[in-house]
Amino acid sequence: MNAVPDGRCTNAAILNQWHPLVAVDEVLVDEHREATLLGEKLTYTARPDGQILVWRSADSEAVELPIEVDYLCVWVCLGSPPDGLFEISEFRESDRRNVHAGTIGVHVSAPRAVENFLDMGHFPYVHTNILGVEPHTEVAEYEVHIDPQTNDVWATECVFYQPIAATTSTEGQMSDYLYRVPHPYCVILYKTTPMHDERMDVIALFCRPVSADHIQAHMFLSLLDPDNSEAAIRRFQQTIFGQDKPILENQHPKLLPLDPRAETPIRADKVAIAYRRWLSDMGVTYGVIPVGAT
Amino acid sequence: MITLYDYELSANCYKQRLLMSLLDIAYESIPVDFFPGLEHKSEAFKKINPMGHIPVIDDDGFVLWDAHAILVYLAAKYDPSNRWYPTSNPELLGETASWLLFAEGTTNTASAARLFVNLGYDFDIDACRAGAHRLFRQLDEHLWFREREGRDWVCSAPHPTIADVALFPDVILSEEGGVSRLDYPALRRWTERVKALDGFATMPGIFPLGTS
Amino acid sequence: MVDAQTSWHPIAAADDLPLRHVFHGQLLGRELAVWRADDNFVNVWENRCLHRGVRLSIGTNNGMELTCRYHGWRYSNRSAGCTYIPAHPADAPARTISNRTFPAVERYGLVWSGETPEGDVPTVGVLEEGSPFTLRSLPVNASAEVTFDELRFHTFQPCGAHDHTNATPIISIDQLDDRSIVLTSTSDDLRSTVVFFVQPVDAGRSVIRPVLSHTPDQHEQIVIWRHHALMLASTVARAERVFADQPDPPPMVAAIDEVPVDLRTLPDPSTNRQAPLRVQVSRKWSTATGVAAFELTSIGAPLPAFQPGAHIDVHLSKGLIRQYSLTNGPGETAHYRIGVKLEPDSRGGSELMHQSVREGDVLAISEPRNNFPLRRDSLKTILIAGGIGVTPLLAMAQALHSMDLEFELHYFAQSEDHLAFGEVRDLVAASVTTHLALSPSQTAAAIEEIVRSPQPTHQLYVCGPGPMLESTRTIAARAGWADESIHFEYFKNTTRRDDSSTFEIALARSATTLQVPSGTSILQVLRANDVALPSSCEQGACGTCVVSVIDGDIDHQDVHLNETERAAGDQIMTCVSRATSPRLVLDL
Repeated sequence: MNAVPDGRCTNAAILNQWHPLVAVDEVLVDEHREATLLGEKLTYTARPDGQILVWRSADSEAVELPIEVDYLCVWVCLGSPPDGLFEISEFRESDRRNVHAGTIGVHVSAPRAVENFLDMGHFPYVHTNILGVEPHTEVAEYEVHIDPQTNDVWATECVFYQPIAATTSTEGQMSDYLYRVPHPYCVILYKTTPMHDERMDVIALFCRPVSADHIQAHMFLSLLDPDNSEAAIRRFQQTIFGQDKPILENQHPKLLPLDPRAETPIRADKVAIAYRRWLSDMGVTYGVIPVGAT
Repeated sequence: MITLYDYELSANCYKQRLLMSLLDIAYESIPVDFFPGLEHKSEAFKKINPMGHIPVIDDDGFVLWDAHAILVYLAAKYDPSNRWYPTSNPELLGETASWLLFAEGTTNTASAARLFVNLGYDFDIDACRAGAHRLFRQLDEHLWFREREGRDWVCSAPHPTIADVALFPDVILSEEGGVSRLDYPALRRWTERVKALDGFATMPGIFPLGTS
Repeated sequence: MVDAQTSWHPIAAADDLPLRHVFHGQLLGRELAVWRADDNFVNVWENRCLHRGVRLSIGTNNGMELTCRYHGWRYSNRSAGCTYIPAHPADAPARTISNRTFPAVERYGLVWSGETPEGDVPTVGVLEEGSPFTLRSLPVNASAEVTFDELRFHTFQPCGAHDHTNATPIISIDQLDDRSIVLTSTSDDLRSTVVFFVQPVDAGRSVIRPVLSHTPDQHEQIVIWRHHALMLASTVARAERVFADQPDPPPMVAAIDEVPVDLRTLPDPSTNRQAPLRVQVSRKWSTATGVAAFELTSIGAPLPAFQPGAHIDVHLSKGLIRQYSLTNGPGETAHYRIGVKLEPDSRGGSELMHQSVREGDVLAISEPRNNFPLRRDSLKTILIAGGIGVTPLLAMAQALHSMDLEFELHYFAQSEDHLAFGEVRDLVAASVTTHLALSPSQTAAAIEEIVRSPQPTHQLYVCGPGPMLESTRTIAARAGWADESIHFEYFKNTTRRDDSSTFEIALARSATTLQVPSGTSILQVLRANDVALPSSCEQGACGTCVVSVIDGDIDHQDVHLNETERAAGDQIMTCVSRATSPRLVLDL
């Protein structure tokens, strides 16, 4: 249906995307390392001049695959590469702290991880005393739209009570969130920062689909936080993701069902409903259970 | 003051935090950028622990590494009840030592599988998982019989020991390494008894005991 | 060959289900969350929250409900109905959000269940005649078929001969069917019989669940358990070797039920629910002066889940339908408990309940419906009850208590003897204050004191006689409570109603226009035109017949909507309210 028997992806909607392979820092000069993407083993290395090369490990000719280097990651495409990668303009602002907070393996499909990232209702239960706390459980109404120009899914006017929203927090606050899905397996969060009224912190999750139901989750941040060390920012993000991981690994089925009848949505899931429909409309069949597949 | 060189997502560091929380010992945690920074392999860190691994404690100048060794030291020194590492009860002390050895096995299988999945360590994952299942099957049977004897803990005493502390993280985090505990009901019940202990501390990846 | 899908299988040992634990089980490829409630009922559920598919076996069993770890959805003991969705604390979840449940029977120290088991759990003669003693179950990495095959060669010593490890006992197969094998071991004059059940876990795993026919003396038990565990371990190892050499069998895939169509989106609060349930009055007693209490037990199917604040319609003879609030605590699902006050000006309902309805009688009731949902995201909840109005608030008090949320229950009554449900109040005694024999002005003063310091994070719930509700509404508003923080439940609408107007209604979704003549309600007109709409009190009190209004001016004659809701002008109680404009456009 979406993968040939050896697990390789045959879904054009996914093959023709840029996927995050590794953090740029992990690509070492003249050292060959392997990583699996969409069921295929790839080898990557850097030349002494800094140029990064990626090829299929099984390819005796070692034909170079198209790559992009951005947001502290190496992105690779196994099909026909789209024009450029989605834009996170904050990354180019000079006073930002841009941090790659690590890559963690999770036994779940990329869309399940994206959907969890889009979800506020779990904060009091999964990130207790950090991103949420009982009894502040209400998910207020918010807006969802699809940008007609970029085709990104947006959730706007999201508000949630948070005891410690970020490394810079000293007390509880109502956090304002914007969510953006620019890629089937990538999701970006724009969040109120205690430091600024107008500008927002950016936290993103870029999933590398190792297979249909395994990911390597890249955590990327672009923050307005001059004080905390990079290590402290990484730790905060790893704590949060470490709490999500056992939830994700206890979801069944691991592939995201796109049929609305498979699970029971509530109003708080408006953006998840839009995301599932958007994946369907885009023809994504890898990492999901397409409508009518069962 | 005790200093713990710590990484929050490490099962072995969590063993120390858990014991110190259970014993109500004050300590300072120095975060080590274990991942992705590999700080424990740095020159600077090797001046603290030449072996280049964590956890390490520094207790007013006395430096010690190796997770289970630190448990022994902390309990022997800071547990006035003399229960967690029962130095005055040779039989129980022997049992505790035996289960600490068993816990080396769970660390090298179940927790190794977790490092493979989470952080991409290069281990023989099938062997790790098979080994973890073999040990969990033994531990499940052992704990089932303990329950029949009216005992709640790994050793035969009516109270927990550092053997429980050494085993708990490897067991409770096993599913992150792809080792299900579905076949080990007595093991699952024991993890809930550990969570119910006074002073229990959790970490990301471990659900606390629910109350309501 | 018996069909595995329609058979009973052991899925756990009875002592795998200790207090407040959730057992993680699996049968025929399907994962199960198995938990024992404090009333000893064993729940066997699909191991999957309906919301996002998270395993319920990682959730929390508080003895009454199972709470999902991911978003805190609560599911009731027995019915597995969802009782609370914390992301929307002001909404009552649709009663129809229910987890898939499987039957459970405890027998021979084992818990039995199945996909769609037919008939009763099969009995085994030797265990029925003996005094069964459950041995330790062992997991096997082999299919049930292979495990079962190998059990034919299993050997063990009879009780009393466990130290004769060298002696070879004689093993006879007494009985062998698809589900169990009965072996007797004889050595000299000692004999023991063990029944081995095999649980098919999935295509490559099974569990051997052995039961000894007679319970040995206490002092021998550990030795016997150990002997059987040791002997079984070699049979397990043999089965695993045999299985490993075979080609992999096809996996067992347990189909997940589709969510019903009406749950694809957030349920419409006005879902029609017609079919009444049948219950038996299992207990009737006088709980206070003039108040009869009833315990209603289901006949046949288990009772549906309810939420605190919910009421049921009781259908009485002469076509009378009356609403009574449930006083049950969370998870208390074996029966519904209601209180009925004998009304001096009764239209006949309370008189019938008091005088004619007896223990053993069968009543027709609706499923619980909740127009008085309890938010559980407040830092403090104040409950104010007048007389019989205490009933829904007792349910709320127990729910708040079980979640450790701060609340006060103020109970106004004529005298000590008029206080109902003492045994329920005792459960939450620390939070209850009674106010007895107060005059209307003293009552007003007491309420003023209670609602003195409104906080945006506090909520107020009031239920009682109309005049008390009106005065509380006024006092609380004066004290600065926001409309949306005060929640009322009226039992009756005592205001004078005027149905003299005529107007037309347009049904936007069905593009139909209907005339509403004077003397006829919108609800009656809709029904006459085959538009099904649920209703309950039909006097503008309960809120069941609410419809969204798209356009037009509403003549509100109900007591259900508060001032803010009335001013918004986007919903109407179709049983009593009307239009002041010539035309109302309804979202129907």
